[in-house]
Amino acid sequence: MEKVLLFNEVSILNASIEKIVRLIVGLFMFVATFGLVSCNSNDDENGTIEIDGIDLRADIDCCSAEEALQVYKFLQTVKIVPELSTTIDNKYNVFAYTKTGTFHKGYNDVYFVVTKKSTGNYVKNYEISNITPLMFMTKMNMSHSTPVGGVVSQLENLPLALKHGWVSYLMDSSENGSWTISYDISVLGSEGGIKSKDITVDALPQGQEWLKSFKIGSDTYYLSLVNPIDFATGTNEISAYISKKNTPATTPYSLAAETFTVEIDPRMPDMGNHTSPDNVKLTRQPDGSYKGIINLTMTGLWRIHLTVKDANGNVVGGGDDLKDGLSSLYWDVTL
Amino acid sequence: MTNLLLIPLLSYLPADTIANQTHAIDEVVVVSGRTEGRKRSIKGQVASIDEHIGELSHVNLVRRGSYAWEPVVNNMATERVSTTIDGMKIFYACTDKMDPVTSYVESGNLQSISLNSGLSGNPQSTGNIGGSLDLRLRKVGFDADRFSGNASAGYEANGHLQVYGADAAYSSDKFYINGGAFYRHADNYKEGGGREVDFSQFSKVNAFANLGTRLSENNIIEGTFIYDRASDVGYPALNMDVSKAEAFITSLSYKRLFQHPVLNSWETKVYYNHITHIMDDTTRPDVEIHMDMPGKSWTSGLYSLISASKGIHDIQFNYDLYYNRLFADMTMYPGGAAPMYMLTWPDVGTLNTGVALSDALSLPHSQTLKFTAKIAQQWQKLNSEEGYHALRVFFPGMKDSYYQTIGRVAASYQKAINHYTFNIGAGWGSRAPTVTEAYGYYLNNTFDQYDYIGNPRLKNESAIEVNGNIDWHPSTSFTLNLDANAFFFYNYIIGQFENRLSAMTVGAEGVKVYGNIDHATIVNTSLSAQWKVLPWLSWYGKASYAVGRDADKDPLPLISPFAYASSLDFTLWGKLQTRVEVKGNSRQVDYAPKYGETETAAYTIVNLNAQYTLSVRKSSLSLRAGVENLFDHRYSTYSDWCNIPQKGRNVYVNVSVGL
Repeated sequence: MEKVLLFNEVSILNASIEKIVRLIVGLFMFVATFGLVSCNSNDDENGTIEIDGIDLRADIDCCSAEEALQVYKFLQTVKIVPELSTTIDNKYNVFAYTKTGTFHKGYNDVYFVVTKKSTGNYVKNYEISNITPLMFMTKMNMSHSTPVGGVVSQLENLPLALKHGWVSYLMDSSENGSWTISYDISVLGSEGGIKSKDITVDALPQGQEWLKSFKIGSDTYYLSLVNPIDFATGTNEISAYISKKNTPATTPYSLAAETFTVEIDPRMPDMGNHTSPDNVKLTRQPDGSYKGIINLTMTGLWRIHLTVKDANGNVVGGGDDLKDGLSSLYWDVTL
Repeated sequence: MTNLLLIPLLSYLPADTIANQTHAIDEVVVVSGRTEGRKRSIKGQVASIDEHIGELSHVNLVRRGSYAWEPVVNNMATERVSTTIDGMKIFYACTDKMDPVTSYVESGNLQSISLNSGLSGNPQSTGNIGGSLDLRLRKVGFDADRFSGNASAGYEANGHLQVYGADAAYSSDKFYINGGAFYRHADNYKEGGGREVDFSQFSKVNAFANLGTRLSENNIIEGTFIYDRASDVGYPALNMDVSKAEAFITSLSYKRLFQHPVLNSWETKVYYNHITHIMDDTTRPDVEIHMDMPGKSWTSGLYSLISASKGIHDIQFNYDLYYNRLFADMTMYPGGAAPMYMLTWPDVGTLNTGVALSDALSLPHSQTLKFTAKIAQQWQKLNSEEGYHALRVFFPGMKDSYYQTIGRVAASYQKAINHYTFNIGAGWGSRAPTVTEAYGYYLNNTFDQYDYIGNPRLKNESAIEVNGNIDWHPSTSFTLNLDANAFFFYNYIIGQFENRLSAMTVGAEGVKVYGNIDHATIVNTSLSAQWKVLPWLSWYGKASYAVGRDADKDPLPLISPFAYASSLDFTLWGKLQTRVEVKGNSRQVDYAPKYGETETAAYTIVNLNAQYTLSVRKSSLSLRAGVENLFDHRYSTYSDWCNIPQKGRNVYVNVSVGL
C-alpha cells in the first residue's frame, strides 16, 4: 500500500496546469504550422507565428518547441513539491518536483523548472545553489545536514530548462526531529530562493533501507542507494553515491573525495540467503556516482550486503563477515 | 520443401506384395468387449489408466503417489515420449511433473492405448525418441447396438479405493452418441507392514461424450468432449500436494471416406484443450515457507490425415499444426515479509507444424517393410517480459524467441520363415528441448534435491535407434520372444551441476542447469515366453534388462534394473479364470549416484486374481477379485520417486455389467 502511495506516477500539476494545456495546444499548432512553412518556403527564420499567450520563438530565454515539449512530457512523470516552489521578483515561478511530490528517507531526485509569470514559458538559464536540508534534533538540541548532490545541473538528453539535483535524507521526520530546507536561485539577474522551509520526510516501508553509513577513523561516510524502486526481476544497473559527513555538520555533506569500490552480495534472507550470479561491484564514474550491475532472480526482500574498499583494496566498510559469512553493512530492497 | 525431401526417399523402395506389420505397435484394450489375444489389465475396466498403461511392453511408470503416474517408455520419460489423445496434442501443466497428460483421461473414455516403440511414432507425434502413446477414445460408432450401457464398480481394501463408472450409448446408421461419468476416491494407502503412507489420497471425477453424425454415406462429423478434475491429490514423494488438476479436452473432426482405387479416407480434426493445475502445501505440517504454484497449459491445433493404398503400398500422409502455451508461476509467502514471486515457466508459446508420411509395404514371401518420416518446425516465444528478464540473468545473450527444426525417419523390415518371425529396424530422430529444459526457472526436483534452471541455448537432442526382435513359435502352444533395442544419443539433455549458482529452495543441495552431454546410450532387452501347457493351464514368463550410460560411461538415472515376471493362468470349470503371478526386480546395481539416484533393493511380490464372466445374450456380467502383494512385503521399485513405498497387501473386488 505504501509502495503505491510513494510511487504513484499520475501527476497533477497545480495552478500552472491550465497554462500547460494551453502551451501544449500551442506547441502542437506551432509544430504543424512550422512544418508547413518550411516545406513550402525552406525559410525557417523570421516567420512570425502568433499563438495566444505564448510566443516561444520570440523568447530567447527559452527553448525550441521540441525542447519545451520534452520538458512538459518529463514533468508528467513527477509531482510538484509545494514547499520548495517559490516566485522571484514577481517575474518568475520556480517549481520543484520529486517522483511523488514528497520526500522519503534516503535518496530523492529533485527536479527544477523556472517559468516566466507573464508567458508561462520555460527559462533555460538559471542557477540553483546551496541546497541545505537541516535536521533539528529536539532532544539533543542540535542540527545536522545530510548528503546532497553538489551541483544542480542539466539532465542527460533533456533540455537545459530542466535541472536536477538530489538529497539523501539520513532519517525521517518524527518527534525526535524535523527537517527544513533552503536553497538559492538566480534567474536572469534576479535572485531568490527559499529559507528554512519546513518539510516532511517520510519513513520507508518495511523491507526498504536505502541509506547506510560506515566509518573510517572518525570520519563518517554515507552510502545512498539511488532509486532501487526501479529495480525489477532480472539484470539492473545499480547506482549509489558515497558522501562524507562535513564539519560543521550543518553544512550539506558533499561527495567523498576518495575513490572506493563497493562489492555487492545480494541475498534473500527469507530464502536461506539465496543469491544471484554475475553481480558487478560499484565503481566510481566520472560524474562522481558509483555504478555496478545487480541481478535479482525474483521479487521479494533482497538484502544487498556491502563491502567497501579503498583505492588500495583495503576493506574500509562492511565486509566483516558475520556468522553467516555476510557483511553487516547492507541495503534492503523489497521489490 | 518437406514433400520434396520425403517423396524421393519413398521411391527407392521396391514395389510388390502383402502382409501387415505390427511388431512396433503394442496395444492395451481398456473397455470390455473383444479382447481375445489382446492385452488388458487384470482389473478390467475399473483399472486406472496407469494400470492399463503398465500392461504395455517397453513401459514402466514413475510413481510420485498413488495417482498420476508418469509413463516411461524404453526407459525414457515424458521429455522423450509423445503422448496424444486420438492424435490431439496435449501438454501437462505442472512444473513438477505431477500431471502426466495420461492423468487427464479415465478408463471410461478410452477404447485402447497404443504404443509405437522408439522412433516410428504415430503421425501426430513429435519428439518421440523413446516412443509414442496414443490414447484412443471410445466412440461407439455408427450401426452398433441401438442402445447399450455399461456400469462398473470397484473397491480396494488398501486405501479404501472406490471406483464407480457408468456410460450409455445410442447408435444408428446416421448418428451416434456415447457418454458417461467416472468417479474415483482413495484415502491414504498402507505400505507393506501396515504403516500408512501420508498424503497418498486422491479423488477424481471425469465425464465424457463422443458423438458423430453421417452427413452422407461417406461424410462423417465427429465431436469429443472430456472434462476431468482431480482434487485433493496427495504426493508423498513431493513437498506439495494438488488441490485441483482440471482439464477440458474437445475436438471436432470431419472424415471423408472414399470408394476410390487409391484414396481410403481423409480426416481433418481441430481441437482445443486446456489444463489448470493448482499445487497446495497448506495441509502439510512444518512447511518452511508457504507457496502458491499454479500452472496452466493451453493447446489448440489441427491435423489432417489422408490414408491411401495402392498395390503393395499402404500410405498415410499427415499434416499437423498446434499452438501451446505454458504458464507457471510461484509466489512464496515468508511470514511477515513481502511475498516473493517468480515465473517458473515464462508463458512460453510454442507453434509447431509438421508433415508426416508413412508407408507399409507388403512384399512377397511374408515380408513387410515399413517406413515412417516426419519433419516439423517449431517457433517458441517467451511471452512474459518478467520471466524473460529473469532468465537473462543466467543467459545474458538469450533472445525471447527461438526456432527449431526437428525430424525423424525410421524403417523396419519383418520376415517370417517357418517357425520364426524376424524383425529389424533402424531410425534417426531429434527432439527440441522441452519448456522445462529450455526455460524452466528454479524448479526444485525432489529426486536429487536440486533446483533446476532451463537453458535456452540447448541444442536439439538426437538419437539413432536400432532394434530387433525374434519370435520363435515352434508350435501353436509355445512362443519365445527375444526383443532388443538400442538408442545412441547425441547432445543428450540432462541437468548438470552449476556450482556457482545458489539454490533457491530452502534445503536444496544446489543448482543444476540443463545441458547437452556429447553422447549417451540406452539399451533395452527382454526375453518372454508363453506356453499353453494344457487347455486350462498356461504359463507366461518375462525377463528384461536395460542399461543406460552417459558420455563418461556412468549410469543414467531411472533405468530399470533386471526385472522379471511369471504367471500361471488356470481356467476352472470353463468360466472361472484365475492367475497366480510372481514379479520382482533385482537389486538396482547400476543406479546413478552421479545424478542423485539412490540404490533400490530387490523385491519379489505375489499377486492372485480370479475373474468370472457370465454372458446372457448381449448382456454380460464380470466379477473380478484378487490380492496384490499377498505377503504384505514392504518394497519400492526403482521408479518410485524418492523410493516411496508401494502398496502393501491389497484385496480388491470389482464388477462390470454390460447391457
